[in-house]
Amino acid sequence: MNILILPLLIPFFTAMVLALCNGWRTLEKAISLLSCLAQTAFVFWLLFHVDKHGIQVVGIGGWAAPFGIAFVADRLSCIMLCLSMTVGTVVLVYTFWTVTQLQQRFFFYPLFQIVLLGVNWSFLTGDLFNLFVAYEVMLIGSYGMMMVGASKSQVRQTMKYIAINIVGSSLFVVGTGLIYATVGTLNMADIAQRTAALAQPQAGLVTAVSMLLLTVFALKAAAFPVFFWLPDSYPIVPLGINGFYAGLLTKVGVYSLLRVFVMVFQQPGHELALDILLWMSGFTMFLGVMGAMCQWEIRRILSWHIISQVGYMVMGIGLAANAAIAKLAIAGTIFYVVHHIVVKSCLFLVGGIAERVNGSQKLKEMGGVLNLAPGVAGLFLVAAFSLAGMPPFSGFLAKFVLVRAGLSGGAYFIVFVSIATSFLTLYSMSKIWSYAFWSKEPREQAGKNYRGMMAPTAVLVAITVVLGLAAQPFLELANRAAEDVIDPTRYIQAVLPQESDSAVATKAHLRGLQGWDQTALVQPAGGAP
Amino acid sequence: MELPLAITIALMFAAGTYMILRPNLIRIVLGFGLYSNAVNLLLIVCGGFGASRMAPFVDDPDAPGHVLASQLMDPLPPDIILTAIVISFATGALLLILCYRVFLDNGTDNPESLCDAPELGHHEEAPE
Repeated sequence: MNILILPLLIPFFTAMVLALCNGWRTLEKAISLLSCLAQTAFVFWLLFHVDKHGIQVVGIGGWAAPFGIAFVADRLSCIMLCLSMTVGTVVLVYTFWTVTQLQQRFFFYPLFQIVLLGVNWSFLTGDLFNLFVAYEVMLIGSYGMMMVGASKSQVRQTMKYIAINIVGSSLFVVGTGLIYATVGTLNMADIAQRTAALAQPQAGLVTAVSMLLLTVFALKAAAFPVFFWLPDSYPIVPLGINGFYAGLLTKVGVYSLLRVFVMVFQQPGHELALDILLWMSGFTMFLGVMGAMCQWEIRRILSWHIISQVGYMVMGIGLAANAAIAKLAIAGTIFYVVHHIVVKSCLFLVGGIAERVNGSQKLKEMGGVLNLAPGVAGLFLVAAFSLAGMPPFSGFLAKFVLVRAGLSGGAYFIVFVSIATSFLTLYSMSKIWSYAFWSKEPREQAGKNYRGMMAPTAVLVAITVVLGLAAQPFLELANRAAEDVIDPTRYIQAVLPQESDSAVATKAHLRGLQGWDQTALVQPAGGAP
Repeated sequence: MELPLAITIALMFAAGTYMILRPNLIRIVLGFGLYSNAVNLLLIVCGGFGASRMAPFVDDPDAPGHVLASQLMDPLPPDIILTAIVISFATGALLLILCYRVFLDNGTDNPESLCDAPELGHHEEAPE
């Protein structure tokens, strides 16, 4: 199914066209919007198609899976693609009101498409090295967007963001290379198949090597020991686009953890990584919320909350070590990712509007948003309650599924930490509420130009309400997606050609081409870059 | 042959880490260069390495019956290295441009000295 790579081709070509249109400001916005709408329509169609007809695979250049590069769309990939495009489109519309002339002159919209390209790519790829390339594309786009029009202190923080990501990327390539040296392939399905058959000494080696990847993905996801870069760099991301960064970029790390450590590594003893993740998750959620409680700027509070929320998702992944509750835990994680991406982006967007209304994002300079813009206050209230996990909204169900998985798995302590954390989340949300929204306005309304920004934000609020009130179909979808992640049999069957026909045919074909003896064949190797 | 290469890689990683931790942007860029080359060397080792390995081309008409897979160098890691070089080249170019711009705008390449006065305070006092 060749059209599978449309979510990569559309943003790629849109970025090039937009770079040529630089200067026609309205035209740029129109093209970006059309492109995002087309992608959104396509990924939703893809989700329904994959849900109905099973996993779709495309081998680039017609090369069969373990030899060529495979792009794979299973239910998890499609769910993530739908999220990235929904939030991407909403944030794009929001930036129509926030983008400055300077930003637009320096390729804001082309860079936005490049970041979308990287994000979509990392969700679709079925190859470990390609995942690295996708990360790099995403990062280069994000450096550009953070740097344009940055003040001095923003440049300083961006440089730190770049330095930490350089180290992460290098470690990623090292990990990929060592995986190739120990397993002999980079194709995810092939790794899953081969590691499942490994015996103890090699299995231990693979587990050791996988720890490098664990570090890299944890760094990307901003989990416990390596989260320090996030609260310094996300608050300086330009207004508007920060909703996209907050929602999607760390979740690419969470997705990679889920994909690689639950599905790809199947060697005996691979549960070690999940146990480590469970420990990390407790620290991540608790320290994240503690960090949020002592901040006095909206963007900083929300950035710390990203860390705390990542803890919940990592907790779900960690609980999957217990086979009895693995399905429930992974389904809960997937639902949590859906909920979190929507709500977190939404909170950043609402925070941006409040900032516009008050002319500041420091809590002690803000106030009276409830009087000045009651609609904005309503949007914030729903999103904040959803984040903290209040019943009618999606956050409650997402936490409920995870807590239930934890209780039936006997992981009482982590469940206790997660519930305590959600109370503290409520506390710091009510801090924003009482200082920025409820208190007396410190001065006259600073900005009036915020009404256009409310429509896209309201879309995200509506999604979290729908996710909470009509959760059943979404939970069932998450359940089906979780099945495929926990048991990679179907994924392997879809990606790798069956040994009986295609592999034999390929070997015979190679032999005919090169005049090689069967023994001269190199070990089948995973995807080329 | 693996041992001297392993030591080289270790030294390059150590030097790169030291450079990235320095408070000069240009050193961060150089540290990044060291890192990416150390990674490339490591990938070479991953592909099977040493005097006993042949290049994976068989143009000798007598060869097919005699060449064993274990005698050939794996062609995939060089592929990966090529891609990694392209990516690190692009990232390196971007980093150099950024550093140059920062230097032109501020006359310093020490990121710690880049502060705009009003935004200094990270930990502000609680109101009342």
